Amino acid sequence: MKIPIGLLAKKGTFAPFAKVDASEARYERRRVCPFFCFVLLAALAGLCWGAARAQEPDLGTEAQREAGRVLYNKYCVQCHGEEGDGKGYAAPHTKPRPRDFTAGQFKIRTTPSGAVPTDEDLHNVIRQGMPYTTMIGWPDFSDDEVANLIYHIKTYSNNFQDPDYFDPPIIVPSPPAFTKESAELGRELYTQMECNSCHGEKGRSDGRSAPTLKDDAGNAIRSVDMTKRWTYRGGPTRKDIYRTFSTGMNGTPMPSYDESLTEKERWQLVDYIYSLGDSDDANYSDRLFVASTEDEIDMAQGEALFEQAQSAHFPLIGQIMEPGRAFHPAANGIEVKAIHNSREIAFLVKWHDMRADISGMNSPALQAPAESEEGGPLDEGGASEDQESAEEDFFGEVSESEHEAPSADDFFGEVEAPEQEADGFFGMEEEEEPADAAVQESAFSDAVAIQFPSAPPEGIRQPYFIFGDLKNSVDIWFADLAQEGAQRFLGRGSASVTENDVEDLAMRATYEDGEWRVMFKKTLGSEAGVSFEERQWIPVAFSVWDGWSQERGNNRALTSWFYLYVEPQQAPSPVFPMTRAALTIFGIEVILIALIRRKYKNALQLPVLQANALGE
Amino acid sequence: MTFHDLWQFLVALIESLNIYVLLPILVVLIGCRIVKAGLFVWVTAWALAVYLTLRYGFVIAIPASVLSLYMGIVFLTLLTYVVSSRERWISFSRPLLRLMVEKKYQPLLVLVLVTLPLAAGARVYLSMTLPIQPPLFTRTVHPAPPSEPITVHDQEFDLNAVVNPFRELEESDLEQFQTHVENGRRVYYQNCFYCHGDDMLGDGLFAHGLNPIPTNFRDTGTIAMFQEGFLFWRIAKGGPGMPDEGGPWESAMPAWEKFLSVEEIWDVILFLYDYTEQRPRELEEHGE
Repeated sequence: MKIPIGLLAKKGTFAPFAKVDASEARYERRRVCPFFCFVLLAALAGLCWGAARAQEPDLGTEAQREAGRVLYNKYCVQCHGEEGDGKGYAAPHTKPRPRDFTAGQFKIRTTPSGAVPTDEDLHNVIRQGMPYTTMIGWPDFSDDEVANLIYHIKTYSNNFQDPDYFDPPIIVPSPPAFTKESAELGRELYTQMECNSCHGEKGRSDGRSAPTLKDDAGNAIRSVDMTKRWTYRGGPTRKDIYRTFSTGMNGTPMPSYDESLTEKERWQLVDYIYSLGDSDDANYSDRLFVASTEDEIDMAQGEALFEQAQSAHFPLIGQIMEPGRAFHPAANGIEVKAIHNSREIAFLVKWHDMRADISGMNSPALQAPAESEEGGPLDEGGASEDQESAEEDFFGEVSESEHEAPSADDFFGEVEAPEQEADGFFGMEEEEEPADAAVQESAFSDAVAIQFPSAPPEGIRQPYFIFGDLKNSVDIWFADLAQEGAQRFLGRGSASVTENDVEDLAMRATYEDGEWRVMFKKTLGSEAGVSFEERQWIPVAFSVWDGWSQERGNNRALTSWFYLYVEPQQAPSPVFPMTRAALTIFGIEVILIALIRRKYKNALQLPVLQANALGE
Repeated sequence: MTFHDLWQFLVALIESLNIYVLLPILVVLIGCRIVKAGLFVWVTAWALAVYLTLRYGFVIAIPASVLSLYMGIVFLTLLTYVVSSRERWISFSRPLLRLMVEKKYQPLLVLVLVTLPLAAGARVYLSMTLPIQPPLFTRTVHPAPPSEPITVHDQEFDLNAVVNPFRELEESDLEQFQTHVENGRRVYYQNCFYCHGDDMLGDGLFAHGLNPIPTNFRDTGTIAMFQEGFLFWRIAKGGPGMPDEGGPWESAMPAWEKFLSVEEIWDVILFLYDYTEQRPRELEEHGE
């Protein structure tokens, strides 16, 4: 890319110089100037040429490429494919899809938009991987092995041999200190540059274009949730964010702002995005404390009701254990708060969702479709009826085995995957609404469930964490966000989820800026379910369904069992037990000393050891 | 065992110990020897030395329940030693008796009289204010397989005698063997790597959300310890197929018979050993 510029510079110099050459002596002084310019420009061009030459493709030796190929075929081929086209047999169940090396486009780079990455860039991605993708890091490779792998990967695309795709890395200056003022200015840039059209007003990946995003290969992809820095593919630091602005992510709709924003503006935008999240780490919890309050529990207060409760952040993963698997569920974490006032208990659950799907319906009892080889539930409409298999396991009872072919005539059979359009995404035409209308309403609504054992666990045994089992059932508090009010289910295994008496379980839900907030409230001491007695540890688990991704029934995001602790209304005072322990010890001491002193009036009466009795 | 192996072993041993705790303990014990300490001091020193070593001497901490078990044994041993002869008992108890009887020790006695109840009170206070812990379930990581034959896809498998039907191809028909390994690789990367990881380190995409964590097959203490029949059982029946001591209600290991054929399970087992360059434990021959 430098070379054409260099040539241009030379051309521009030649013409005036020729002119001057033919001029008279009085132009002598002016002649010096163009001549000087010529020398300068020639030197510059030479420098550029030299720089380009310095980047002469390093494609390794035949032996190195071959060594790389052997490694590739053992470690990489299953996702990235034999042809390097990202179409390995594991690819259909991954999201984002594996890199297609033949396209020569790489997301995480230090080089300008469109350019190929440096070897070091590739090295870093291989070593560190990308969080929350199936590309985990490969720290065990030696430097030589990584280098050989890179030589092999480069053989898939001619871009690595074409100087047009070479550009020196963008220099990321050392970051200025974070300031609120800078973040505030960044907020304006965020709107001005239309970051919100994909990333949403609060950075929760809920922009109006978010559902339409596709990569260059036409695969649906998600914009990053900026509030979760731990999921940033290129790293969570401010320098990483700056680099991503400057380089863009090749092959995705994320452009480079190298030319449209000054360095200062980029740092302002970095600061704003940085201010959207709280932490570089997810800081997942393993328990939930149900705070105690004396006040009435009124859900109309909204989140303020839970002010004194400690927030717990639980990781959501795909339900890939029972048929109807979800390999890449939409949600990846859920935040929970809980309070009680000894008469009622209330839970607040929050998670990020690209858009509120409040049409259609959802239920934990719905049959999820059998996953297709080609790409999960999005690509198919048919649902299989029954996927149970015979087994005698810890559920204690033998269930019937019945594999039925997917039936197309069932209720969910006609559902089409949402239409997605990527065109016009950057809003070139201002007045045109980008593709929103093309995103169909989903037949399935968003939904959430909290799960407890049906009865307080006796001993260590708990119900199976996926909707219970035949011996130990679970109580499922469920909110179909297309409907008013809560629902309640009894789970005896994921194939046997039945509706249960709602009693006085109440639910209230709001959706704002890419976040669902759902509250549940229930009277304590009612007939069914655990009693939430004070100082009790109770297993709890959560499930989230994203209607847009056609998640329903077993196809969902879930957590494993965690514990909740019901904090007592009044913390027991330690004074009495402390005094009791101290007095007990004191009493024993006094009695012991009194007895000893009664036996031995003075030191002379103490038993004496015979000399050398111990043989020393 | 070569000198190098021995050296490696010693280095590993020392690396697993906390030198900055162990050295002072050693110094104190040697000091007791030099000053010819009495039996009371010796017994106290030994009890403390063992406790501190077990509690702080290892890089990887010993579980509290195991520690209290060990200490119980140590106290019993010391007690037995002390009461094993009249001389020892006198030697041990004399310092204590003198403390309680002699006038010149009275200030010290008062100090002990006050300190011990205070310590007991403080202990109660700490136990009541420390962060409360959820009930602990000590899971058996590799529970014993059922002795009865298991049924997978209408076939019976006796886990004590079953062998991988494709293992022998390794000797007889390497090409066929490789086909099975390759098929196992496909099965792994379409089903298993979400949890067990691309590189079998147990660090897949969903591993952070699981408790118990997925097995790291590269760890030589996992699949290399087992016969292939054990893996067959754990894969076919998954978490729900475990006995209670394995915690079947919380294991996210699916019962793979719901998704895989018998042949696919044997193939993926071949692949696990092939990829990690480990060997299954052989069936034990009886009567040899």
